Amino acid sequence: MTHLADRAAPDGWLSRLSRIRYRGRRVDWQAYLFILPFALIFIVITLLPIFFGIYISFNEWGIVGDPEWVGLDNFREAMQDDWIPKVWGNTFQMAALVVPGTVLVALLMALWINREQWLSGPIRTAFFAPHVVAITVTAIIWIWIFEKETGLLNLALYGIGIPKQGWLTTSKWVIQSISLVTIWQAVGFHMVILLAGLKEIPAEMGEAAVIDGASAWQAFWRITLPLLTPALGLVITLEIISAFRIFGQVYLMTGGGPGGHSATIVSYIYHEGFVRFRLGFAAALSLLLFLTILLFTLLRARLVREHSN
Amino acid sequence: MSNLSLSTLYNQTSLRFIRTFIIWLPGAVVALLWLFPLYWMLNTSVKPDRLIMAGVDLIPTEITWEHYRTVVADTPVIRWFVNSIVTSVCVVAGSLVLGSLTGFALARMHFPGRSVIFWLLISSLMIPPEMSIVPLFIGVLRLEVQDSFISLIIPPLASVFPVYLYRQFFLSFPRELEDAAAIDGCSRIGTFMRVALPLARPATLAGAILIFTSNWNSFLWPLLVAFKTEWKTLPVGMAFYTRLDIQGTSTQSGYGEAMAAVAIVALPTLIFFLILQRYFIEGVTQVGIKG
Repeated sequence: MTHLADRAAPDGWLSRLSRIRYRGRRVDWQAYLFILPFALIFIVITLLPIFFGIYISFNEWGIVGDPEWVGLDNFREAMQDDWIPKVWGNTFQMAALVVPGTVLVALLMALWINREQWLSGPIRTAFFAPHVVAITVTAIIWIWIFEKETGLLNLALYGIGIPKQGWLTTSKWVIQSISLVTIWQAVGFHMVILLAGLKEIPAEMGEAAVIDGASAWQAFWRITLPLLTPALGLVITLEIISAFRIFGQVYLMTGGGPGGHSATIVSYIYHEGFVRFRLGFAAALSLLLFLTILLFTLLRARLVREHSN
Repeated sequence: MSNLSLSTLYNQTSLRFIRTFIIWLPGAVVALLWLFPLYWMLNTSVKPDRLIMAGVDLIPTEITWEHYRTVVADTPVIRWFVNSIVTSVCVVAGSLVLGSLTGFALARMHFPGRSVIFWLLISSLMIPPEMSIVPLFIGVLRLEVQDSFISLIIPPLASVFPVYLYRQFFLSFPRELEDAAAIDGCSRIGTFMRVALPLARPATLAGAILIFTSNWNSFLWPLLVAFKTEWKTLPVGMAFYTRLDIQGTSTQSGYGEAMAAVAIVALPTLIFFLILQRYFIEGVTQVGIKG
């Protein structure tokens, strides 16, 4: 009896809780249980480390011994370090090739696939395939293709009378070579995003424009491209972020050489943090990397906004 | 007269054919170029050294498995393979459980803080993972979990991607199905398990494939936390084969083995992709366009 009465009691805390409303609807308290497991992992693995990382960057932190608070010393050192302009410069140069290169090639591929011509399916597979292999695979295949004496590229160029080049061993070519490899691997992914963007554009719009006397070229500039802006914006943002984070191909293909000509921001972070174990300095560099990426993505968003106004 | 119009017609058709072909050709050529490095990997991996050094030969005249045998004999490839498989499978399973629960709550449940949490997750994507790598590395050393599955599996579970994927999927889920389930007496968790999850199969498949591939290929993190050779994953272990010829001193003899080594890393994901490519593309599309 009491048992039943308890359950029906209008003032039990459970039933009071279940009647709490938020913005006019009952609150689903169970939602917090659904979210809890991921929230814990996210806090421990992503959120706390970000703040802990900022704290570390104000310390001299080695792999043994106690950390020592050094204030802004790590950042001051970064400003004076000869390597900083070099690795930032190399990374900017790569980004300047990789971002437009990837976006342009991916756009052309997406436009081509979108025409649904003969063998479209298998060709889309071919464009995407490099994206599914590990960076180790990409790097080692291209080391072999770029090889100076018997590598495929030099043999092919030699065949048409161009002297053999040290693609990965001379400062003249190393940045271009690594950018090429990066583009080769990245375009497939961005092509798929752009293709999805193109599929959202109703075909009638282009047709109507052509009937109204616009050339295919005009239809592309006036209709397709503006409607593709959201997808293009996403692709450019993703590509900016990943271009500034280039690491694996450099670590594996050149080790930053020759003479540091291909060392990037992340390969320098790796070297300072995990080869020399200067963890405080590496954390400070990571913070600078984040600010660089933030600056460029905001700049990108601003450019697009101005362009569309 | 009729002859003339016939020839104009003929000219028009052939002109159209030529135009179509001129647009088609560059795509086909680029596709071959894009596939070629992967083909060249397989090609070199099965040729005897003698032929590799003899220069370009597009179809190997002699096939040998020698290089694969050497790689298996020279490196603990089986151990690395197991490390990669166990890590990737656990990360996929864990991510799908965490992602579907969280994604469901964010898409279909009503509670204070929902939009703040979602906003927090999305904006964390703007922060490069390198920001948390130094602190995580220190954490791994303090807890002494380097060289273990814990350090390989737990950090990738914090990926926001599966949460986002499921949220997008559950947002498009019809309200009526939930109401019907509620009328049938399903609790929230019952609706989730018996109605939502089975219907989310496409998202689950796309998520599983993309998470598996990205963990199989993951490089920087496993490189940092594997101090001992036996705790390397396949891509990190096979990085051994870069110590070949970057100084320009010619030792082509190693390339057969190097190509066999990377083929062992590449083939699982490549085959996986060829069979399930529809889901790969759907997954990328989901993330890209619905964003």
